[in-house]
Amino acid sequence: MKNRLKVLRAERDWSQQDLADALGVSRQSVNAIETGKYDPSLPLAFRIADLFELTIEAIFVRD
Amino acid sequence: MLSSKTLAPYMRRYTIRIMLFMAAYVLILSGSLAFANNGAEHGKATLIGLALITAFPIIGVFWAIFRLLVETDDEYQRLLFAKQTLLATAFTLVIVTVWQFLEVYGVVTAGPQWMGVIWFAMLGLAAPITRWKA
Repeated sequence: MKNRLKVLRAERDWSQQDLADALGVSRQSVNAIETGKYDPSLPLAFRIADLFELTIEAIFVRD
Repeated sequence: MLSSKTLAPYMRRYTIRIMLFMAAYVLILSGSLAFANNGAEHGKATLIGLALITAFPIIGVFWAIFRLLVETDDEYQRLLFAKQTLLATAFTLVIVTVWQFLEVYGVVTAGPQWMGVIWFAMLGLAAPITRWKA
C-alpha cells in the first residue's frame, strides 16, 4: 500500500524518530510503514491519522 | 512513549528475565552437577529431580521469549519476533530431521540431543536474516 507519510513528516519537519516517539513504536517500524514494506493494522492507521489530523484514506492509498 | 535512547519496556523486561534465567541456569547446573558427581549413590528419583530443576531455567527462557511476543506493543516488531521464532523452529526441525536419519542409517550413534540449545542458536541465526532489510 502506498502512503504519504514521508511528505506529511517533511511538512512538519519531523524525523522518523519523532514520528515513532509520537506513535509509541520503533523508528524501524515507521521506516517499514513509510517504505511500504509493512501495512499497519487498522488501530495503528487510526493513530497515525489522528496524529496528522487527517483521514486514513488521505494518508494511505491503494496500489 | 519510546525514546531512541532507552530500551522499550517490553524489551527491558525480556532482557531482565533472560539474564535472571541464564544466571539461575549457571548456578543450578554447576550445583546439580557437583551434587550428582559427589561420589555418593543417588536414587533415580533424585536424579529425575536434578534433571527437572536444571531444565527449569531453560523452560523459563522459552517462557520469556513467548512473553516477549505477547508483550511487544509495537506490532511491526512483534511480527519480526514471530518470524524469527518460526524461522528458528524451521531450522531446528531441519537439523533434527537430518540428524535423526543419520542415526537411523548408523552414521552417528546418538540421535538428536540438546534441542533447546540448538533452538537458541537458531534463534540467534534467524535474527539477522529476519531483520535484514526489514
